[in-house]
Amino acid sequence: MAEIRLEHVSKRWGAFVGVDDFNLTIADREFLVLLGPSGCGKTTTMRMIAGLEDATDGKIHIGDRVVNDLDPKDRDVAMVFQSYGLYPNMNVYENIRFPLKVRKVPESEHDARVMRASAMVELDEFLHRKPAELSGGQRQRVALARAIVREPTVFLMDEPLSNLDAKLRVSTRAQIKNLQHELKVTTIYVTHDQIEAMTLADRVVVMNKGVVQQVGTPTDIYDNPANTFVASFIGSPAMNLMSGTMSGGVFTGDNVSIAGFDAPDGPITLGYRAEDATVAEAGQGQITAPIYTLELLGDATMIAVKAGGALVSVKAHKEFRAEIGDMVSINIPSSICHLFDAESGARIG
Amino acid sequence: MSSIPRAMQQPLGLKFASYGFLAFWCLIAAFPIFWVAVMSVKTPVDAFASSPLDVVFGPRTLGNGDGMSVFSILLLLTLLVLTYRVGARHLGKWVEQFSPPGLVIIGWIIGSIIFAIGAAFLMFGIYPFVVDLIDPILGPLGRPVLGLTTEHYQAVWVDNEFYTNFLNSMLVTAGVVTISLTVGTLAGYGLARSGSNLAFWLLIMALIFRALPHSVLVTGYLPAFINSAEFLEPILGESAPTLYGQPWAVIVVLVSINQPFTIWMLRSFFQNIPSELDEAARVDGCSHFGAFRRVIMPVMWPGVITTGLFSFLLAYNDYLVTALLLDQQNQTMVPAITGYFNRETTTTDQVEAVAAAVSIIAPLFLLVMVFQRQIVSGLTAGAVKG
Repeated sequence: MAEIRLEHVSKRWGAFVGVDDFNLTIADREFLVLLGPSGCGKTTTMRMIAGLEDATDGKIHIGDRVVNDLDPKDRDVAMVFQSYGLYPNMNVYENIRFPLKVRKVPESEHDARVMRASAMVELDEFLHRKPAELSGGQRQRVALARAIVREPTVFLMDEPLSNLDAKLRVSTRAQIKNLQHELKVTTIYVTHDQIEAMTLADRVVVMNKGVVQQVGTPTDIYDNPANTFVASFIGSPAMNLMSGTMSGGVFTGDNVSIAGFDAPDGPITLGYRAEDATVAEAGQGQITAPIYTLELLGDATMIAVKAGGALVSVKAHKEFRAEIGDMVSINIPSSICHLFDAESGARIG
Repeated sequence: MSSIPRAMQQPLGLKFASYGFLAFWCLIAAFPIFWVAVMSVKTPVDAFASSPLDVVFGPRTLGNGDGMSVFSILLLLTLLVLTYRVGARHLGKWVEQFSPPGLVIIGWIIGSIIFAIGAAFLMFGIYPFVVDLIDPILGPLGRPVLGLTTEHYQAVWVDNEFYTNFLNSMLVTAGVVTISLTVGTLAGYGLARSGSNLAFWLLIMALIFRALPHSVLVTGYLPAFINSAEFLEPILGESAPTLYGQPWAVIVVLVSINQPFTIWMLRSFFQNIPSELDEAARVDGCSHFGAFRRVIMPVMWPGVITTGLFSFLLAYNDYLVTALLLDQQNQTMVPAITGYFNRETTTTDQVEAVAAAVSIIAPLFLLVMVFQRQIVSGLTAGAVKG
C-alpha cells in the first residue's frame, strides 16, 4: 500500500543539473517506467527514491511519510540492480535470505519465504550454487527473488534486463510483468529501451537532460507525443520528422507538399509514423522522391527517401519491390500528421 | 607441456638456457638459507671448516657424540612434510568449520597459535623422545652418520634469553598488524568510495609520508620518546612513562611508517569491489557500517590477509626503528642479533648468531605456509565479481 509522491525534486552536482524539478504522483500498485537516453536523470531519480542519492531540493513521499532524511533501509523499498549486485561469497539461498536476516525476521519464517520467492522465479534447483556459477539470466532472477522475498512496499528496478541477451530479455520481461501483477506492488522501472517501456508500463515518464518531457500511458505517448524529442525517441522506427514552411494551410519542404492544415504560417516541423503512410500511384502522393534505401523486414518493406531535410520512411506492402534510385510517391494525408513548433519542438497540432 | 601448440614451443636451446638460468637463480637465492641452517647445528670448528663437506657432515660434531642416524633423518623429513601438508591443506578448513561466523579472523589467530604450539611440541617434545627410544634398537641404521648439535639453539634461547626478544617481536608485530589493518580497512574503504577532493589529497599526503626515509621519522620520535615522562606528566601525573625502550611505543612509529602503504593497498582492493554491493546491502536493510561489515568485509579477506602479511613483514623485519628506539633489554629479534657481533666476537658467538638468525626464519615459513592459499588469491585479486 504505497503511493509515491515527488514534489519539485531536483538533483544538482555543482552547476550540473541531473534532475530538474520533477513532479509526479505514482499510484499504489502502478507500474511506472522512467524512459530516456543515458544521462537523462532517470537512474538518478530512482536512486533518490531509494535513498542512495540525496535530493538537492524537493520532497519525496512514500506512503504517508516524507523519506528525504531516511536511510535506504528505512524506506521499505527493494531494488534490482543493472549488474545484479549479488553477494559473491553467499550461495543463492543465502543471497535471497539476506534481507530477512538483516531485518531480523523470525528465523522460523526464513525457509518458507525463501522457497516461495525462489519458486516464483524458478530458481529451486540452484539454491546451493554461488552467483559465479550461474548464467546472467539466473543471476538476474536471484536479484529479483532477493527483492520480492521481503514483500516491500516499492520495487525499484534499474535497467534489470540490459545485461541479458535479446531472447532472455523477452522472457524475463514477461516474468517481471507477471510478478508485478501477482504481488501488486508499486514498481518503478528504469530503462532506455522504449520497447520495454511500452510493453511493461501502466504509465511512462519520458525524460531528457534531467527534464520530464511527457507523462502518459504507452498509447498516449506513442499516439500523441508532446514534443519532437518524445516523437523521435518512441517507436521503432521513430516518427519521421520533416522541416518546412506552413503557408495558407499548406506545408512545403524539399520534395514534399501537404495541404489541408489549420495552422499559422511560418517555419514548422511535421511528423508522421511510417506505418500510417502508404505508397501512392506515381505522382499522386505528397512526397515524390528517388528511393534512398529499401529494407525487407519480412512482414513489410521499409522504403526510405530524402524529404523535408531528413531521411523519412514509409512502411509498404511486403511484396513491394523497386531499385534504389527509382522514383516513389508517398501518400501522407494531413490527418496522420503531427505538427511541432520549429523552434521549441513542442506539439502544436 | 603438450597443451602448448607446436608453433609456440621454445626451441631446445632456449629451453635449456631458461631452465638453467632458473636453476641457477634458485641456487643463488636458496643457498645462503641452506648454509646458515647447516652451520647453526655444527660445532664452531665444523661450521668454519675450510672444506664445505666438513661443514655439511660435521665430523667434529659427530665426534662429540652429537649426530643423527639415517632413521632419525628420515623421521624428521617425514614430520616436516606432514606438518606442512596439514598446515597448508587442512588448517584453513578447520578454522572455517569451527570458528563462529563473523569471528573468522580470531579463529585464524587461535588456529595458527595452536598449530605453531603443536608443531613445536612435535619437533622438540615427541621427536627426540621417539628417536632416543628407537635408535638403539635399529643397529646400523640407528648409528649417527650426520653431525648435528642443538647446543647453539639452547645457548640462544635459554642462556641468552632470546625468548624475551621473541616475545617483544611478537608484541610489536601483533600491534602493528592489528592497528594497521583496523585503520587501513576503514580508511581504505572510505577513500575508495569517496569521490571528494579531500580524499584525493589525503591519498597524496599518505604517498608523501610513505616516501619519507624511515630514519627521518625515527629522529623525529627519538627525542620525544626520551623526554616523554616530562611532557606527559601534566596529563598522566607521576606515573607518566618514558616511552623510549618500550616495545609498545615502537608500535606507534612502525604504524606511522606502514599505514600509508596499507591504506593505499586496501583502497585498491576495495575499489575492485563494485559499489552496487554496498548499495544492495543498504537497500536490503543494512546500515552503512552494517553493509561494510556483513557484505564488503567477507569479500575482502584475501586483500586483508595479503596486506596483513606485508605489515607483518615490515614490523617483523624492521631493524632501524627497533634498534634505535629500544634499549638492550627490550630488543626485538632482528636487532638482537647484532648483539652477538658487538662483543669481542668468538666463533661460538658467531654460530650462535647464525642459530638466532635461523630461529627468526622459522615463524616466517610457518606464516607463508598457513596462508599461502589466501595470499595467492589476494595477489591475483579481482575474483570478487558477483
